Amino acid sequence: MAAPSKATVVLKAVKKIAVQFCPFESNVRSTREFLAMVGSERARSTNMNCEVISVVRHDQSAPVVDITYLDGDKLVLKGAKLTSSEMLNAFQSLCTAKDLQAKIAAKK
Amino acid sequence: MAATLCVKVLPKQGWLPLIQTVRHGSKAVTRHRRPMHILKQKLMAVTEYIPPARVIPPGAYPPQSKQVQEDSAFMVVMKRNLKNVFQHSKMVAVVQNNASNAEDMMMLKHRLHKHGISVKFFPNQVVRSFIKDGLFSNMAPLFIGPTVLFVSEEPKVKEMLSTLRASPQMTLLGACIDNALLSAQGVVSYSKLPSVSVVQGELVSGLTMLTSHTASLLQRHPAHLSALLQQYVKQQSSEGAPKAEEAT
Repeated sequence: MAAPSKATVVLKAVKKIAVQFCPFESNVRSTREFLAMVGSERARSTNMNCEVISVVRHDQSAPVVDITYLDGDKLVLKGAKLTSSEMLNAFQSLCTAKDLQAKIAAKK
Repeated sequence: MAATLCVKVLPKQGWLPLIQTVRHGSKAVTRHRRPMHILKQKLMAVTEYIPPARVIPPGAYPPQSKQVQEDSAFMVVMKRNLKNVFQHSKMVAVVQNNASNAEDMMMLKHRLHKHGISVKFFPNQVVRSFIKDGLFSNMAPLFIGPTVLFVSEEPKVKEMLSTLRASPQMTLLGACIDNALLSAQGVVSYSKLPSVSVVQGELVSGLTMLTSHTASLLQRHPAHLSALLQQYVKQQSSEGAPKAEEAT
């Protein structure tokens, strides 16, 4: 399993990350790892205003990560069949894209 | 030193040297490959190892005997600690902490210690191997990632929940209270339950409701009781009469 490109996650353009999972299911490993990596000190220090909220349910529902960006966009990651590195890659690519957009808008 | 004193062209490997020095020959153990005597060469060539021909390529089938790895001594110690923890504590809660500083952990530990809850760290592998054959085998899927155990003798759930609400990084995954496995919502509803004495009082009052009703009836004025009984007899007779009419 290839590690994501950078060790830390940059959360500059993110407003809120809501992670919901059911710990007694067998398909939550990737979601929990994603939560651990996103909720780490280094990741949160990149943006102190970003909230990382985790909800624990027991209704055998699939694990879901709901990310809200500063410009209103939403990214929904369904972690049932994904690995944590895939989720991180997708999340980081979107984040960098948003960062570039924000920089271009700021320059103008 | 032997090379400087005796001039000889070092031959390729396996060839005897053209000039064999007698005085300053190399020792038995050399840094280069010492050329072997021809007879020894022949012997080595004849007695080379020929591996037995495998019918099945290695790795095609799973191994017959399962490789069971013994626990290291440290693991044995940790398992003993775990066993003590599970035996002596009524409440064992599993919490995932994404990231907490040392000072956050210290504050949390201090607050929990006031209520008699201790915070324990155990490696997931040890916990899983200890748990899988026991009462708590269904707790095994909880132990993934960075987990912490909150352990206490008394099930003080309300205080634990309030302390956890203060620190946003900690996520309560589940708890085992009085040998009953509870999810996060189960823990919350457990905390909202009234205490045992209150529940017992409610149960007793519900059971003795009828008898207390009868006792209060008897304690009233007897005229009241006789009036009630007459009314009851009238009702019985009126019910009996329509039933007899229906029968006929």
